Amino acid sequence: MRLRPVQERDLPQFVRWLQDRELTRWLAAIGDPPSLEEEYDWWHDKRADPDSILWAIDSPEGRLVGTVELRLTMRAERAEMGIAIHDKAQWNKGLGTDAARLVVDYAFEELNLNRVELTTDEENARAIRCYEKVGFVREGLLRQHRLVDGVFGNTLIMGIVRDDWMPLDRDSED
Amino acid sequence: MNPPVLAGKTVRLRPLRPDDLVLVQRWFNDPAVRYWLHQSDRPDATSETVRNHFWRPVEEGRAVAWLIETGETPVGTLRLLEIDPHHGRAELAISIGEPDQWGRGLGTDAIQQALGFAFHDLGLRRVSLITDADNARGIRCYEKCGFVREGLLRAHRLRHGQPLDMLTMAVLKEDWLRAYA
Repeated sequence: MRLRPVQERDLPQFVRWLQDRELTRWLAAIGDPPSLEEEYDWWHDKRADPDSILWAIDSPEGRLVGTVELRLTMRAERAEMGIAIHDKAQWNKGLGTDAARLVVDYAFEELNLNRVELTTDEENARAIRCYEKVGFVREGLLRQHRLVDGVFGNTLIMGIVRDDWMPLDRDSED
Repeated sequence: MNPPVLAGKTVRLRPLRPDDLVLVQRWFNDPAVRYWLHQSDRPDATSETVRNHFWRPVEEGRAVAWLIETGETPVGTLRLLEIDPHHGRAELAISIGEPDQWGRGLGTDAIQQALGFAFHDLGLRRVSLITDADNARGIRCYEKCGFVREGLLRAHRLRHGQPLDMLTMAVLKEDWLRAYA
């Protein structure tokens, strides 16, 4: 697994994946599937935004599988993480867990943040398991927070603070 | 969007105007007021920062904002932010900028008027806020207005450089109707 900047040539693949409701029903931005032009605008805005760090996630074989982003609030030494494995064939292989670990390490080690937080659909058991493996803790439940296909669902808010954090290489050092 | 004037028992809410921003700036620059604000660690506000942070979302239609008055005296602001018609939700932000008016129930009265507007006129079903976990006066006020504690966000912001926990709270339309209909 490897993180790298998103390139313009990745965008058509994202647009194809984002047609799939089975994927998009879990995403915070739950609108209609984007056109290639809208996806380009999204990428362009992210690149111009000093408070966003966006990576593409490549599988060990070097195939694009998803994205992970940190949205920074530097004055509070905090960031919000958003991660998605878009390629359903790559679900349940631990790629998201590995990517999230790398990004959390980066946030604490390189960016010197105090806190990384995220929100996820309460029913997204696979994602919640992944976040808990990384060290995120359930901090709250936002009631009726999201309308998904006509039904209001709850959103879980999770956080990891510097005191919770176990750096990736600590085991090998001890 | 220009909200209507709302009249409570002790306060009146009228749409915020650009010429109110000088007051907003003075309130922000009072250390006793800023202590409780999410941006407490920012430097003193200038007319430019107030315009960018406070006024621009109103101007661009992403927020509605009122000036809170009691009698003829302006005492603070109340805003609905991140209004999301699809999910039917918004965030509420209130600040009483005159410390000698604290503890009189003005904030409670103002919030109750704004919630009525949010649920009945905007058709929202959820209004949320986050507040410092040690802001006992604020939390008591929010609970009186029907807000429920939904979670504790650890080290969510800094105050004087120190990490500070924040409480996330929300009131649902159904709770509101049960309590006040």
